This record gives sequence, C-alpha cells and structure tokens, in this order.
Amino acid sequence: MSHFDIKRIDQRPMQEALLSRNKFHILGLDTDTLIRYFFSGNAWVAIIVLGLITYSLFREGAGFFPQHWEGLKTYRLAGLEFVDIIRDQSEAQAGLVKYLDKVRVDRAAELKKSGASGEEVAQKLQALEQVRNDLDAAGIPLQEFVQQMTQQAAGVKDRWTEARDNAISRDQLLKAGMAEEAKAIAVEKIDFGREASALTARIPQYHEISRTMAARLADISGHLPQVQDPVVAREIRHLQKALENFTTGFPDVEKRLQDWRYDRPVSAYESLTKFIFGTQWITQSFWQDWYGFVPLFMGSLTISVVALVISVPLGIGAAVYINQVASAREQTLIKPAIEFIAVIPSVVLGFFGVVILGEFLRQASGWSWLAWVPGFPFPERLNILTAGILLALMAVPSIFTFSEDALNNVPKAFKEASFALGANRLQTIVRIIIPASLSGIISAVLLGFGRVIGETMVVLLCAGNRIQIPDFAAGLAVVAQPVHTMTGLVAQEIPEVVKGSLQYRALFMLSIMLFLISLLINYIAQIFVRKFKISVG
Amino acid sequence: MKKTILSVLLAALAFAPSVKADKLVIKGSDTLGAKLVPQLAEAYKAKNPGVTFEIAAEGSTTGIAAITDGTADIGMSSRRAKSTEMALASTKGVKMVPTIVAFDGIAVIVNSANSVSALTKRQVEQIFTGDVTDWSAVGGTPGKISIYTRNTASGTYADFKELAMSKRDYAGTSQKMAGNEQIAQEVSKNPAGIGYVGMAYMKAPGVKVLSVDGSLPSKSTVQGHSYPLHRPTFFYTNGPASGLAKSFIDFVFSADGAKIVEQVGFVAAK
Repeated sequence: MSHFDIKRIDQRPMQEALLSRNKFHILGLDTDTLIRYFFSGNAWVAIIVLGLITYSLFREGAGFFPQHWEGLKTYRLAGLEFVDIIRDQSEAQAGLVKYLDKVRVDRAAELKKSGASGEEVAQKLQALEQVRNDLDAAGIPLQEFVQQMTQQAAGVKDRWTEARDNAISRDQLLKAGMAEEAKAIAVEKIDFGREASALTARIPQYHEISRTMAARLADISGHLPQVQDPVVAREIRHLQKALENFTTGFPDVEKRLQDWRYDRPVSAYESLTKFIFGTQWITQSFWQDWYGFVPLFMGSLTISVVALVISVPLGIGAAVYINQVASAREQTLIKPAIEFIAVIPSVVLGFFGVVILGEFLRQASGWSWLAWVPGFPFPERLNILTAGILLALMAVPSIFTFSEDALNNVPKAFKEASFALGANRLQTIVRIIIPASLSGIISAVLLGFGRVIGETMVVLLCAGNRIQIPDFAAGLAVVAQPVHTMTGLVAQEIPEVVKGSLQYRALFMLSIMLFLISLLINYIAQIFVRKFKISVG
Repeated sequence: MKKTILSVLLAALAFAPSVKADKLVIKGSDTLGAKLVPQLAEAYKAKNPGVTFEIAAEGSTTGIAAITDGTADIGMSSRRAKSTEMALASTKGVKMVPTIVAFDGIAVIVNSANSVSALTKRQVEQIFTGDVTDWSAVGGTPGKISIYTRNTASGTYADFKELAMSKRDYAGTSQKMAGNEQIAQEVSKNPAGIGYVGMAYMKAPGVKVLSVDGSLPSKSTVQGHSYPLHRPTFFYTNGPASGLAKSFIDFVFSADGAKIVEQVGFVAAK
C-alpha cells in the first residue's frame, strides 16, 4: 500500500535492497569474506605464535638430555662417583658429631632457662663435650683421605674438561681456516682406565683407615659415660645405637668400593630419572653439577599450597557474599576494590613483601604471646609464608572473579524453587547454589593455582631462595623455611648463563616442566568442568 | 615533491646526532658496573664534555662476549676469560687484552649484634659449606647460622668458592640473594645471619665486618696480600686499548680516578 512507502537512505525499492549483494569488492572478495578472513587470520596468528613458542622451548630443552648424560658419564669415568662413596661415609660420621653438638646446645639452653649458672651448665655437659671431641677426632683421618682423593679425581676431571675445551677451540680455529693456530693447541688424551686404577689402588689405604676408625668408634661406644642428667643420658643411648648402625654399614661401603667399575655404562634413561627425581640442584660446582628437579618443584608446590589455603576461602567466600548476600551498594563498592588488587604489579607486591611484610612477620614471630604457634619464632624473614601470603593476595581476585561468574550462571529458577520449598537463605546457598556452580568454582580454584605456580617476581624477591627440599618433619613450621622455585631460579640464572651450556638447557627444561604443569592444570580444570556441569533445561 | 624533501631532511636529522657525539660502550661485570664505572664515567664526562657513555652491567660473561662480538669498546670482568672464550675471540680476529683496573676484596659480614668478630679461614670454610651449623661452634651465642650468598649469575659466587671454600660447594641451607645490597640488607635484619659482600658494601648499616685470619679488608691489607679474600678485576679490550678507551683507562689510573676507586670501596691497582 502506497502510504507505507518509507523514505530509506539508499532510496532503492525494498525488494532490491534486501536481495542485492554488496557491490564493494577488493581483490575479488566482498566485505563479508574479508571480515571473515581477518578474524580467522587473527586466530591463526595466535595459534602459530603458540606453536613457535612451544617448538623453540622444546628444541632448546631437548638438548639437555644428551649433555646431561655426558655429564653423568664423566662423573663415573673420572672417578668422582668412587670418591663420593667414601665422602658419604665421612659425612655420615660428621653428622653424628653435629647431632651431639645440637644436643649439647639444646640442653645448655634448657638448663640456662631453668636458672643454672654458666659453670653448672659446663660441668653437667662436660662428659658430653668429651664424647663429642673424641668422635670428632676419630673422623679426621677419613676426612683427610677424602680430601686427597677429591683432589686426585678433580684433577682428572679438570684435565678432561680442558682437553675437551681445547678440542672445541681447535675445531673453531680449523673452521675459521686458521690452521697453524689450530695445530698449536695440544689436546691431551686421557686414559680413564689408568686413572681409575690409580684411584682403586688406594682401597687398601682406605681399608686401613676405616678399620682404625671402626675400632675407635667401638672404643668410644663401649666407654660412654654415665651421666646424672636424664635428658643427656637418653641422648647418649641414642648415640650408642647410631654408632652401632653406622659401624655395621662399613662392610657395605667396602663392597661398593670393590664393585665399582669406571666403565660400567650409564643408561640414557638415568639422564631422565636423575633430572625428574634428583634431590639436589647444584650448578657451577668445581666438583659435579647436579640437576635435580624435586627441590624446585617442592618449593613451588608448597608456596602454591599455602597461597591456595589462604586465598580459596577468602575468594569463594567473598564471591558468595557479593553475589548472594550483599546489598546493591556494597556490591558496587566491594567488587571493584577486589578486582583492583589484580591490577597491582607483581613487582610492587614483591617489594612490599620484602621490606614490610617479611620483617613484620619475623618480628611478630618473636612476640611472647604467639610462642604457641608451631615454628615461631623463626629467623628468616624471606620464606614460604611471606611468599604464600603475597601470592594469596594475587590469587584472590582471580578466584573471586571466576567464582562470582559461576555463581551468576546458576539459573534463577534454582533459587526460586528452593525458596518456594521453604529453605532459608543459608540453606539455599550452601545446599543448592554452591553445588550447582561447583564446576565453575573448581575451575576458578585451579586457574588460581595455575596463576600462582607460574608467578615469578614475587617468589624471586620473597621466597628466600634456598635450593633444598623443605624439612616436612617440622610439621606446620615448614612454612617458616625459605625455598626456591622453578620460576624464580630461571629468572635468577638466565642473565649470566652461557648459551648452549648444560645449565642453559637445564633452565629450558625447567621452563618445559612449568609449561607441562600449566597444561596439566588446565586439562584437569576442563575435566572438572565437564564432570560437574549440571545440565540446565 | 614536498614530501620527498621533508623525508630526506628527517632522515638526515636522524643520522646527525650519531655522527657528532663520542660514545664509549662499556659492558660486563655487575661488581664493577653497578657503582664504580658509572662514577668514573661521570667524573670523566665532567672533564671531557661531549663524550657519552653507554654502560650495561649484566655479568662478566656478557662483557667478554661483547668484546668478542664487537658490540662494546671495553668489557668489564671480575674474572679472567676462559680458554674457550679466548679461542672464540681469536677465530673472530679479536685479541683479548686484559688490564687490571682495581682489586676487590670480599668482606665477610655478620649482624652488628653478633658477638663473633674474628674467624679463621678454615672456620669461614666450615660455615659456608655447612660443616658447622651453629654459632656456638665458632664462639658465638647458640643459634642456627643463616647463610646468605650470591647466585650463579655472579662472579663473586664462584670467586668466593675458590678463595675461601677450597672449591667445595655451598651448604644446601644457603640462601641465594640477587646482589650485594640484598645480602647486606638480610644480614642486617637477621641476628644469626652471615654473608659476603664486595668491599664497596662493607659500610652498610647494621652489619659488621669480620676479620679473617687476623686481618680486616682494607686498602693496605689487600694491596699487601695479607687479607686472603681478594681478586683482581679487569677491563678487556680488543688489542691494547686505543683512542677513547685508552683515554678513559688512563683517567682511571690517574690520581682523580684512584680517588674515586678508593671512595667506592675498591683498591686501586698499584
């Protein structure tokens, strides 16, 4: 009907305007196709960049295993493994002396606290002191022997390393065409068989020393003093048992030394297991480098667990409160405030942790009214607790945001039905809303975990950087110990690592492990989302 | 027409500054590059205006690599170049020439409230390797020793192992700090702490320097070699130093330069 003729912008009749295709073309493509290609191109760029990062990570890290294997082979060939067998025994003996030292110091502190004077304390512990000195003296010949063997084996390893470096230098010069300089470099040929025989030839000398030591230890063990003090008496009985255990282990050590062969092959599989299950990470050592993943992983894990223990209740609780309970005014105030925490740069938090939080926690641990807390007072201000608290602060906004989204996605019908059936607000929240949004909440927690385990700056500044598996025997007090993390170590060592060296590749291996851990966390989060997802409608 | 004239003018302007100024590029050790070389550069600039410095202190290895690659005029290093580094340099036609620019003493520090004030070299070794874990074993009040060291990116880390610990490894309980300043900070706050710093950081508040084998680190004990923990620091150049680099190095050895070296806490090379 004519009075429905509306004025349109392009003035074409309705039918033509609706059915005609767009006349604008570039390169034979119309705007629709262009827009489609543009967005899919963006997506492809992201995938390609991800692929390149993964590829370069694995390429650099893959060179770790062959080089590590070489290092382990040298450890055996040059005789360092042989010397370490004896060194372990010597260190076990030194451990007994250190144990006595600890007993003496603890007991002296206890006696002083109960009011004994310095002289009384010295007199009570005098017998213990005597035993300790005898024990120390008994171990000296073995320590000197270990030092000599160390120098001998280290000499072989140094000569081998120098020969290898010289071979590389010679190759470099030959490749550059400088034949005379290349000829001037002498590459020494090392006969490992002969060097190993030189080491094993000293087994009779070791035998002598260990027999003397066993005799002296038996002597000490048989003449342990009788003391009045019950605590000291108990510790002395402990020592007697420890000495017995120690000396019964001697034949075992001898057998290992006799059975040791310098040319027993090192399997390539060991290169992998010594990395994944190794308990020591020592680099730039004059003796032997060890690349064990466990201390760093335990450091990252304990800090993440502490951070989650603090942040999960806070984050989920805040989300439940904001989403279900808070008034509109509180919502508009609190939600942006929590989300603002996510914006604070991590280095600022790290700085705050080092300068203010760490120091405050250490002083607080010294307050007498907190002495009942396990682990208080603690001496180190940079430890798992400091780093964990700061990481919790960083994780709360993530967990809060995702949980709040999950709670929001619960259909209103659930809430209304629950009220209709007579439940009050708390029952609705605890029994209906939270279980319904459980998949989202769990994935929020897992994403928070992934964020926290990958955080670098805060842990580098605040975790204390001690590369050692934390001592879980201390119970809850373990959180007062400093640790090092995978991320912190990579950030710390990358600046001066020589490109292409074993340490460089080991750092890339750490990055690969981090990458795989993040993938695993994301995968588990996906599984949980699928498993707990309630079908709505 | 106008566009081409404009673009040519802009290009010319972009190139102009780089032709006029004299620039000295110095890369390498953090020990030298954190305080000493910047202060020397400032003093040199005051005497010779028109010279700019570019100083990047990312570690001794980067300094030596920069000379080999030709990306720096002077490479600072707190250790000698290794044989592989020298060989690599000669394949690129670079002759690495070291100049000892100063001696650095490594001071062992404890908290100023610690009753211990002297240690033997053997005791220093025992503490840092973990043979001894309690202060009472070296004459202090009973308490567990907290060890603060540098990390493997530092030349001082390796030098201390060689000078003070008979090349043995650090104790597993040692904490790896990022730099001299951080070690001084932690030791000053922890009554049971011990660590080592370069002489330039000896006077940090809250810390006390221990005497090792009877001598405290100072200019006379380092030059006289009676303080056991000291090492030379180097400037590496491609061939003997020439031009602007030689002028700068001569300034470092002059009376003014020596005064700055003393002020920062190093010991001038005699």
